[in-house]
Amino acid sequence: MLYLVELWESVRDFMATGGDVLWLVAGALFLMWVLMLERYFFVSFVFPSVRKEIIAKWDAREDSTSWYAHRIREAWISQAQEQLNARMGLINALVAICPMLGLLGTVTGMIAVFDVMAIQGTGNPRLMAGGISMATIPTMSGMVAALSGVFFSTRLKARLKLSAEQLVDNLPHH
Amino acid sequence: MKKLITTAVVAAAMTFSASTLAAEPAAQSAAQTLDQLLSQIKADRQSDARLNKKREAEFVSERADKQALLKSAKSALAGEKQRGVDLQKSFTDNDQEIDRLSRDLATATGDLGEMFGVVRQVSGDMSGQLATSLVSSQYPGRDEVMMKLGMAKELPTIKELEELWYSLQTEMTQSGKVVKFTADVTDSSGEVKAMEVTRVGSFTLMGNGEFLNFNPNTGTILQLPKQPEGYKVATVGKFQGAAPGETTQVFIDPSRGGLLQVYTQKATLEEQFEAGGIVGKIIAGLLAFGLLISVWKLLTLTAESAKIRAQMKKLDNPGNNSLGRILKVYKEAGDVDVETLELKLDEAILQETPKIESGINLIKVLAAIAPMLGLLGTVTGMIATFQDITLFGTGDPKIMAGGISMALVTTVLGLVAALPLILMHAFVAGRAKSVTDVLDKQSTGIVASHAEQRGK
Repeated sequence: MLYLVELWESVRDFMATGGDVLWLVAGALFLMWVLMLERYFFVSFVFPSVRKEIIAKWDAREDSTSWYAHRIREAWISQAQEQLNARMGLINALVAICPMLGLLGTVTGMIAVFDVMAIQGTGNPRLMAGGISMATIPTMSGMVAALSGVFFSTRLKARLKLSAEQLVDNLPHH
Repeated sequence: MKKLITTAVVAAAMTFSASTLAAEPAAQSAAQTLDQLLSQIKADRQSDARLNKKREAEFVSERADKQALLKSAKSALAGEKQRGVDLQKSFTDNDQEIDRLSRDLATATGDLGEMFGVVRQVSGDMSGQLATSLVSSQYPGRDEVMMKLGMAKELPTIKELEELWYSLQTEMTQSGKVVKFTADVTDSSGEVKAMEVTRVGSFTLMGNGEFLNFNPNTGTILQLPKQPEGYKVATVGKFQGAAPGETTQVFIDPSRGGLLQVYTQKATLEEQFEAGGIVGKIIAGLLAFGLLISVWKLLTLTAESAKIRAQMKKLDNPGNNSLGRILKVYKEAGDVDVETLELKLDEAILQETPKIESGINLIKVLAAIAPMLGLLGTVTGMIATFQDITLFGTGDPKIMAGGISMALVTTVLGLVAALPLILMHAFVAGRAKSVTDVLDKQSTGIVASHAEQRGK
């Protein structure tokens, strides 16, 4: 428990030095990971049964070579793909947003630095240092968030594509 | 004219002297004959000799007098000289006496002298402290007494010493107290109102749910022209309204008003937006436009997908929606061959999709333009800054810093506008993709399965 309190303290200190933009980065990172974990869960635990169902339905069909059969197969594949790729656009957008949020933090931090300069002059570097840490920490966090997102979302995309292709392969024209 | 008068006067004087010269021989020439003249001369000689004798006697007697005078003057001089010597002596004696007495005084003062020095120094320091202390807003005029004591040349009286001790004690006690008192507060428009003021030690003044400031020069309590962030000010109202014994949190200014002063100089969000200038306003306009389109597209797409979902449940009865219109084409086609049906369906689908996708790319373009416009604002701001530098030089960082923070504001605005637009685009594009997928790939499948079921 005490460990958790200390952890929270250190997180709070980090957030305080990084400024408010850091909360936006944290929010974007959290949302991105929740969505990605949901997709991982879907593709590993939910989708196999969906796939099995579609394959069974296809295998039960007598006609699998007519124009109708082709269209129905395409529609099923499209439905399955839609289920697989749901919210992937949002994940990609969040990955793209993270570095921009970092940049936003940089610029607001620089504004803080120049505001201090405008009021106090350059005499006190300690006052400016607060703004500079507000400028650099969000950039770093945004980069880290985006990197984690880029790596795992690419893996996820490949996995989703593979699952869809497995489905297509399992719907033969018998 | 003046010259004329002087010549006249000179001429008159000369004539006058000339007439007297002429008159004398006339008087002496009273003797008519030579004998008479002779006897007259004789008589004159005798009287002259008598006269001379008399004058001689006079001179001699006078000479004796002068001798006596000289003698008395000399004796007076000697007397004065003696007096001078005597005075000189008494002066040196007195000098030595003064020396001795002041030495005696210093010994007699002893430790007390040191103490009076300390008193003077402490009361001097104290007057400065009291003048700026927030406690003085409640008890004004304390610093003047201290100032007088600090400047005084003579030794302080016991009463004054007690005053110093009392002032120190008051300041110490009051700086540890939270007190409410009624005082005149000058608001930002210069109006003076009496209100209940809460003082937290010597740190912060609050009144009417706001932070107040104390101006030591005029000795007045001022309303701050700008308050800190709302959540900080909110604690003040809670603190002032708290019941006795209740514990509430409150933000105080440990720098005794300095931080609050800095807060008044901090730009608000509104002012920062204003600093963005015309570019900032264009970006805000783009954001508003993009958000409007996004919301509009989100609403229409949600409505459309709901309609399509309802249409999927009753395929025999095509309504007025995108899937319904495709189904209508299928229905009107009747028993045409499969290839013609596919062509007709493709045509119908092609007619439907652009309507659904319209506007989505616009959101993306707006999201891409906003940061670029922000960059444009930054560059124009930097140009303005450099123009300032050419005019005023780099001597004052404050001039440049103002321009630079202004320049950066547009970058912030550009990013702030781009971020929601990117997210909205992701949402809207996802929605649109699911709708077009239904129309593009699944509609023919739906038609096919329907036809199959009918054929059975």
